[in-house]
Amino acid sequence: MNRRKLLSLLGMSPALLAGSRVDGQQSNSRAKSPKAASGEAKVETLNPKGTPPPIQLIAMAPRLGSLDGKTVYLVDTGFEGGGFLLNQIQLWFNRNMPSVTVVFKRKAGPYAEDDPALWKEIKEKGNAAIMAIGH
Amino acid sequence: MMKEIVDDLTLPLTAEESKTGMVHVNIGPEKYGPETPRNLQQFYADNGMTDFLPIFLPTEEMVEEMLAGTSHKPDEVVGKMAAGAYPPWEYTVKQVAINAVMAGCKPEYFPTMLAIAASGTPSLFSSTNSFAYAAVINGPIRDKLNMNYGIGALGPFAQPNAAIGRAWTLLSKNLANGGVPGDTYMGSQGNNLNYNNLVIAENEAASPWVPFHVQKGFKAEENVVSLFRGLGIVPGQGARGTSTDTPKYEEQFSDLFSVFTGFFGGLVVADPLIAQNLHARGYDTKEKLIDWLYKNTTQTVKDYKSRDFAYGFDYPRALKGLEPYATWYKMPDDAVIPRWPHLNDINVVVAGGQTNAFFQGGSLSYGVSVSIDKWT
Repeated sequence: MNRRKLLSLLGMSPALLAGSRVDGQQSNSRAKSPKAASGEAKVETLNPKGTPPPIQLIAMAPRLGSLDGKTVYLVDTGFEGGGFLLNQIQLWFNRNMPSVTVVFKRKAGPYAEDDPALWKEIKEKGNAAIMAIGH
Repeated sequence: MMKEIVDDLTLPLTAEESKTGMVHVNIGPEKYGPETPRNLQQFYADNGMTDFLPIFLPTEEMVEEMLAGTSHKPDEVVGKMAAGAYPPWEYTVKQVAINAVMAGCKPEYFPTMLAIAASGTPSLFSSTNSFAYAAVINGPIRDKLNMNYGIGALGPFAQPNAAIGRAWTLLSKNLANGGVPGDTYMGSQGNNLNYNNLVIAENEAASPWVPFHVQKGFKAEENVVSLFRGLGIVPGQGARGTSTDTPKYEEQFSDLFSVFTGFFGGLVVADPLIAQNLHARGYDTKEKLIDWLYKNTTQTVKDYKSRDFAYGFDYPRALKGLEPYATWYKMPDDAVIPRWPHLNDINVVVAGGQTNAFFQGGSLSYGVSVSIDKWT
């Protein structure tokens, strides 16, 4: 029995498959067994999921159209390797798009901590920002 | 890659990228079935609701039995838990009970599960590190539940140790949407301890020291679960000759910890034989042992600065003037500093069956202690 059939049996939409786990990590071998539904009593079971909050979608900022003459901030969060990657990006801009002003900044605090002063500076002085977490 | 980056800064937004409004996540129906147990087992596994081992199917009857393990109402909100950067999910007593059933908990284990759930601490975290978690359990409940703190204390030899740890991972998956590879879980290699975590019932009777929960301000007769997070735990016995006439276990602990990053705390899990030996040699409190370990487990500033964790977390703290990081970053490379920033980064618990003087050392940080009694 494949997963779509199983979902159908359980009264659920196969659309749920879109939200299921990474493909290739799950074996359907048992579900495909022809003995799967033979002679066993059927039971109802409960959904173990918690209650997710509604999520507010925020539209992304409008894009620039062109980077000519613009200022791009490169923000190193401190995550392993991020600074090295951004250094390479800075070199690339210098070589290939010299009209772009590149500003390299190390974000204050550990990577998961907010840095409102830097965000304010980027809003005031920059046109775009690239953050990198390395690896 | 640079073309993609430049495109992402210059091309018009797609309809998807321009979307606004509220998104309501569909978690599916309240019940599944009627269907055969075999198909239901596969359904739960296929939809990421298990650890891919068979579960106890959470029928209404089984969940009702679990709910009898607490005086709290089924619809009472226990807490919230976040998987990575996503907003936290909320859950009730009944939702925790469903997961406790699936893991194989008995109703008498349920208050412990509620305490863990109330902490809001998931056992699966979104980091690219593959974190491990530990739960230290103290108080009379260890005997009431028949927890194993003797021979094989950290192994698969007792139902409460096994099921409580397993339930922690199942509720982290289901109540908080944790452990979705590539989404809410990014651990590059994963961690085998995540199957049922490291559940440590302290061997209070055989320990010469005060129990861990008493160190944290609880009374000895209280039942408490204390949670740790870090990279894992390894055995350290034999490092300097366990069977010598005068074994110096504190030096063995220090040797083991000297290969850890120091970013996470150090947790010693000592067999009672070791604890008794140390006690007889003058370490009459855990604090004395911890003080020795703090002062004698060291590193050079050069080694410290070379670590990714130091660059990512401690260096920005140093820039803000936080100690000891600010001082450490001003010191010369060959200066010697403690491996941990603070004395309370080191913890000691006692577990084991006294069949040999062995110990394990965890790269594990203490997080929080939660009363189990509040959830009876």
